[in-house]
Amino acid sequence: MPDHEKLVIMVTHGPEDPELATIPFVMAGAAVASDVEVVMGFQGDGCRLVQKGVADSVTAPEFAPLSGLLDSVREFGGRLLVCSPCAKSRGIEDELVEGAEICAAARFVAEVTSATSTLVY
Amino acid sequence: MAATHVDQELDARGLLCPMPIVKTAKAMRELPVGAVLKLLATDRGSITDVPAWADTTGNELLTSQEDDGTFVFLIRKVAE
Repeated sequence: MPDHEKLVIMVTHGPEDPELATIPFVMAGAAVASDVEVVMGFQGDGCRLVQKGVADSVTAPEFAPLSGLLDSVREFGGRLLVCSPCAKSRGIEDELVEGAEICAAARFVAEVTSATSTLVY
Repeated sequence: MAATHVDQELDARGLLCPMPIVKTAKAMRELPVGAVLKLLATDRGSITDVPAWADTTGNELLTSQEDDGTFVFLIRKVAE
């Protein structure tokens, strides 16, 4: 394997679908714990997951609670990138969790093209 | 054969995937190279997760066994 693995995980499902909202964080948690660099990209309703307080209310059956997964991803240095128009249209640009970064398409493209793997949910 | 010396025990019973791995990674950060961590988990996913994690991170899985519904792993830290 390469010296350095980088995984980009794109998240498009929000709290209305707890399972598909949680699985990307499960993968991200496993990846950061495995010394893989992780960038999570939030688009569409996926943005809601990094609105302050929202993760606390999302738990899918038989999955670890989303808030703990989010904390683990951040603790291990995983980065959180949020689609600018997606956040703006939902009025949550100024309500994101600490460390979440607003960005636009070219930045996502740069992250994906420099990654060794990308997962899309 | 002499029993392997365990430097630290991590009880991850009841935690769901991937938290046993996350807790393991965190615990291993604090241990010196060569130290052995004993991990207890009840998540069935840990049967495949722990070997995969050890392989990816270059740590050594010494033993893996099931004891009355608890999966017990001994992992040696190989590198920082």
